[in-house]
Amino acid sequence: MRNRLKVLRAERDWSQQDLAERLGVSRQSVNAIETGRYDPSLPLAFKIAEVFEQAIEDIFQRE
Amino acid sequence: MTEKLTAKQRYLRIHIGLSILYVAFVALASRFVPDDAAPTPWVVFWSILPGLIVIGWIWNMGRFLFEMEDEYLRMLETRKALIATAITLAVSGGWGLLELFATVPRLPVFFIFPIWCLGLAVGGLVNLATAGTSGQDCT
Repeated sequence: MRNRLKVLRAERDWSQQDLAERLGVSRQSVNAIETGRYDPSLPLAFKIAEVFEQAIEDIFQRE
Repeated sequence: MTEKLTAKQRYLRIHIGLSILYVAFVALASRFVPDDAAPTPWVVFWSILPGLIVIGWIWNMGRFLFEMEDEYLRMLETRKALIATAITLAVSGGWGLLELFATVPRLPVFFIFPIWCLGLAVGGLVNLATAGTSGQDCT
């Protein structure tokens, strides 16, 4: 699954640590999701969508 | 007001407490049970006590996994435990067959848990190599 996490984060000038704190997860988790090594669960995907105020399908796309 | 402990702090406190109890039980058993003793209920009691602590260690790890809020780190911890289990079963099963077919030293059964703990360390290295982090270091 592809995602736009890095772009969305850069637009807001957030570091991985900033995003991790907003999501309540570790920086390693954000890094793993961003680099496509880990696909988040549905609840975490909803939380990511909520933090970026976008729909899940606008952040995550199937390859 | 007391600050709420994190899952990892709770895990470490229980783990340290159980480890102290384990060492105490082994020391007491060494003191009260003579070498080459007959398997009386008293001897069995002292031998089983440290085993109960091992159950406590595993229960504590399981509780830690349930309480971890970070799903990615939980996945890494679960992978570590699976790798440790695979190594333990492979070593004990393989060595058991070797004992059956060849004249080799017997592998004492009480080594199984330390082998599993070493497997956790190997699992941590696998995580480090493949995911860039070993996990929560619950060993």
